[in-house]
Amino acid sequence: MKELKSIFKLTIMEKKDVALAVLFGFIAGIAGVALLASSGYLVSKAALTSQMTTLVVMAACLKLFGFVSALSRYAERLYSHRATFTMLSNLRVSFFERLSPLAPNLFQRYRSGDLLARIVGDVESLQNFLLRVFYPPVVLAIVFLSTIFFASFFSATVALVLFIGFLLTVVVVPALFAWQKRKTVSRTRASRAALSTEATEFLYGFRDLKIYQQLEEKEGQLQRLVDAYAVEQRNEGQRENYSQSANAFVAMLVSLVVLGLGAYFVAVGELEGLYLAMLVMLSLAVFENVTPMAVFPAYYEESRKAASRLDKVVEEPVQNEGEKGLQPGHIGITLKDVSYTYPQEERPALNNVSLNLPPGSKTAIVGPSGSGKSTLLQVLLHILQTDSGSVLVNGEDINHFDQEKLWSRTNVVLQENHFFFGTIRSNLAIASEEATDEQMKSVLEKVELDAFPLSMKVEEKGQNLSGGEKQRLAIARAMLKGEALWLLDEPVSSIDSMTAKSIYSRLFEQGKEDTFVVISHDLSGLEQLDQIIVMEQGRIVEMGSYKNLMERRGYFYGLKKIEKSVFA
Amino acid sequence: MIDLKQMAFERKNTMALLGTASVLKGLAIILQALFFVWVVDGVFLKGDSFETVLPLLGGLFGAIVLRGFCGYILGRTGVHLATEIKSELRKRLIRSFATNPLQAASHGQSGKKVSLLMDAVDEVDGFFSKYIPQMMQTYTIPLMLLAVIFYQHWATGLIILITAPFIPVFMAIVGKRTKVKADEKMEQLGQFSGTFLDVLQGLTTLNLYGQASKQKQLIQKNSLAFRDATMGVLKSAFLSSLMLEYISMLGIGIIALEIGLRLVVFQNITFFTAFFMMLLAPDFFNMLKDFGGAFHTARGSMAAAKLLSAEFSKEEHKTEWGQEVLSSGPPHIQLDELAFQYGDGFALHPVQAEIPPFSRVAIIGKSGSGKTTLMHLIAGLLPPSEGTVKINGVPREEISEKAWFDQLSYISQNPYLFAGTIKENITIGATAEVTHEEVVKAAEKAGIAEMVASLKKGFDTEIGEAGRGLSGGEKQRIALARAFLKKPSIILFDEPTTGLDLQTEQILQDSMEDLAKTSTVITIAHRLHTISQSDLIFFLSDGRLSAVGGHMELIENYSPYREMVAVQQGGVAE
Repeated sequence: MKELKSIFKLTIMEKKDVALAVLFGFIAGIAGVALLASSGYLVSKAALTSQMTTLVVMAACLKLFGFVSALSRYAERLYSHRATFTMLSNLRVSFFERLSPLAPNLFQRYRSGDLLARIVGDVESLQNFLLRVFYPPVVLAIVFLSTIFFASFFSATVALVLFIGFLLTVVVVPALFAWQKRKTVSRTRASRAALSTEATEFLYGFRDLKIYQQLEEKEGQLQRLVDAYAVEQRNEGQRENYSQSANAFVAMLVSLVVLGLGAYFVAVGELEGLYLAMLVMLSLAVFENVTPMAVFPAYYEESRKAASRLDKVVEEPVQNEGEKGLQPGHIGITLKDVSYTYPQEERPALNNVSLNLPPGSKTAIVGPSGSGKSTLLQVLLHILQTDSGSVLVNGEDINHFDQEKLWSRTNVVLQENHFFFGTIRSNLAIASEEATDEQMKSVLEKVELDAFPLSMKVEEKGQNLSGGEKQRLAIARAMLKGEALWLLDEPVSSIDSMTAKSIYSRLFEQGKEDTFVVISHDLSGLEQLDQIIVMEQGRIVEMGSYKNLMERRGYFYGLKKIEKSVFA
Repeated sequence: MIDLKQMAFERKNTMALLGTASVLKGLAIILQALFFVWVVDGVFLKGDSFETVLPLLGGLFGAIVLRGFCGYILGRTGVHLATEIKSELRKRLIRSFATNPLQAASHGQSGKKVSLLMDAVDEVDGFFSKYIPQMMQTYTIPLMLLAVIFYQHWATGLIILITAPFIPVFMAIVGKRTKVKADEKMEQLGQFSGTFLDVLQGLTTLNLYGQASKQKQLIQKNSLAFRDATMGVLKSAFLSSLMLEYISMLGIGIIALEIGLRLVVFQNITFFTAFFMMLLAPDFFNMLKDFGGAFHTARGSMAAAKLLSAEFSKEEHKTEWGQEVLSSGPPHIQLDELAFQYGDGFALHPVQAEIPPFSRVAIIGKSGSGKTTLMHLIAGLLPPSEGTVKINGVPREEISEKAWFDQLSYISQNPYLFAGTIKENITIGATAEVTHEEVVKAAEKAGIAEMVASLKKGFDTEIGEAGRGLSGGEKQRIALARAFLKKPSIILFDEPTTGLDLQTEQILQDSMEDLAKTSTVITIAHRLHTISQSDLIFFLSDGRLSAVGGHMELIENYSPYREMVAVQQGGVAE
């Protein structure tokens, strides 16, 4: 239950819509009951008399209750859906608020792309919370209690039976199945995950499986997983059917008991026969409203799971206890014996790394894939908390600094840079709101994008830009920010080497006094840098200037030689 | 095209069960109403004692049990039908994936295919678990009710006959109008949740520029705008159900009026008939409305079925295999007018070439020139559209699949590592039982043994999907270990385009050298070293084999090759 607390709060925020939805839901329900009950009464009454008024009243009641019920149902749907969509909007905003400070840490630490997709899916699935979990029981409770109150005027026993029926169909049966569902839903989920993983493996590894002649065996395995998943799904469907059938049966049974008791009371003279048909119709009608409770267990469990998953994501501890900001001026960083191992991995991604990035220095970090370059960058950005060793920024422990204040002094170009729907201007303005058009044009010129007008449209995620254009725009954005520390991760991998070279020259010219760290897979154009750090398997294997390293004829020289012999 | 309805009706026993249960349920509904009325009529008008109506209450109980039981059976049969058909569809899909040779060549679509297998098939569920049982009930129960109503009181039946058809007619008219709009909205919904995903993905960038709070307002604005747009469509959908409600209400109202008139004014029907009609008429209209709801579910299933049909209808040319066995040792390979055409797209024009045993062949050319296609054709992963590959003079189509693949290793740029232990990943290549010593030896040759030994669990270390936790170089070495263990007589090698770590580079060179002693090696080559060491170079351009020869031969006689090498060596100036 407590998992749903925050969702509940967000839903309640839409007081007016929720209240109106409940109100109209109640009117619709009770009018439906009134319709059938009155028709039962009036048919009985008509059988006894020949007064025209009875007929008129009968016709009027039927019309009145019928139209009120249908109209209220319409209003109820309108308000409940409105409230739901507003709630979803609130949920997105509040979730975004909580996720935002955690984002870089979270996304880097778990290298999973589907984390985000899952978040979005979970948010979407919570739209069922109000519609199918929260308010049907509330409306039902009010409708039932009113009906029971009315029935109690005619027979306390019948009222009691209705109440027991209400408890069974609205509370006991759904709760029982919801509880049972909690136990089984994870089994279905697990068998689904197994099938999906195995299918992914089957498709991605298809060629190797084919050549190693494991295809048939894998296919057999996949077929078995299909069967296993089918069994779980069938069991779950079966339980749902069981819950629905049980609910419907109990409802009809209650009507039977009402009829039996009513008949008895009429026979012994404790109840006027005129009301018998009415009470029976009343009972049939009120239990007709119970239908939505049949899907309650499924949606309750789904909402609970989604809410708890979302909570778990934002429950990540915020690691920045530091508050300090950086003084204006140069920035230098020193790493001493830094090690880091990703969760659930055995080997360290960084292994006793020590290096010095003096103020104004220009450093390149190179090495094969998986050597720890990007991990190192995340340590420098204060996104990853090192396992051991220390990182000093201007001589002070990085943990004393506030993450965002550090970032505000850093120009970062990532491997994947995000661009928003808008224009070139609006995407550049992210770096500096005060920047004039002239300043923007000048940075575009420096990255050789001066052909792009500032008003040019940028589509979502920069879809209309090529890889190289995106990289250049990202560099321009960083240039516009113009802070003292530059951290660039493969900034020119999609740009031809001539252009890349001249962009580097202009960068270093603009940031003569600034500290640069460039991560690069590509070994060309590194001549202009002060030091090159060569990494392999999380260690620094070589360090020095380009000339220096080439003369030494060591690891860097070897890499360079291979690079030159590779035809792209 | 898969016809979902047909799939259901093919299962005659299931459909018969659904039909029987529906008829029994209809019977139970009628009996239930009948007993209700008898009891009320008995004690209210006839003044019967409680004991007199007790058997009737017993009968009512029986009717309720029958109704509940039939409902349960209908639901249960629907669930069974749905799972059975979903399983069948999944198995068919897997079969079609497995037999589609292009699967080996294209990795891009894998994500989509998984979603087809998981999500699209699950979408179909509602059609069988909800719609079909509801449909069977709609075919039978209203007719039964109508028959009873006509028998009891023809006027009510007539009123129903006149009003009821308005429901499906109205549903069809409104449904068609809103369907287009609703589909548009669904698309928008998809796009909108896509935007939310985009913003979340860009969160790192936003944070690094300190802009996250601004985005918050944008999310809110978009969400609310989306809400208002959606409400517009929902409003018309709700309005249509309001109209349906009105029609049934109107129907019931007219019936009540007619009954009332006869009961009060003309006094020519009994209370029994009147009450009975009042109970049955709403049931009749409810059945029709329920069917409308189920129909909505069915529409979603139908869209998914369309996706599945598209997958099933893809034309597939299977790779043909025969029965011939292969003699051991590297064979003589002849490419005889070998060509491939994929749809209207890329074509590999007929290739005529010979690959003698133990030769080392380098396939080179710009990206998109057909290197990989040629390699897949040689490997027997793609069926040629023309020509054939002759192995020791025998067309490959006549050789048994097992015999061929037993002789073959394929080392790709990004070898796929399966979820399992390192040992399992190495032994996947072995054709016979292997000892642990043999695995260690292969690992040593591939230069991975040392790294494996450094792991706590050694060869029993689990490596995740696609070899998470291993570097690119290590994956290459595991693939090499597979080849060392398998000892194939033909090795197809897709040389990495980007530099690996120095150690792996060295190991790769040495290993290929080593493997070439006992086999034919065909490489999609990117390194000058590899190319110049080859006996034969296949130079591809624009899907044509434009030159074949040794390194020196091509340098002398083929200018594009000469230029390519010159550019490369020009770059090596230090």
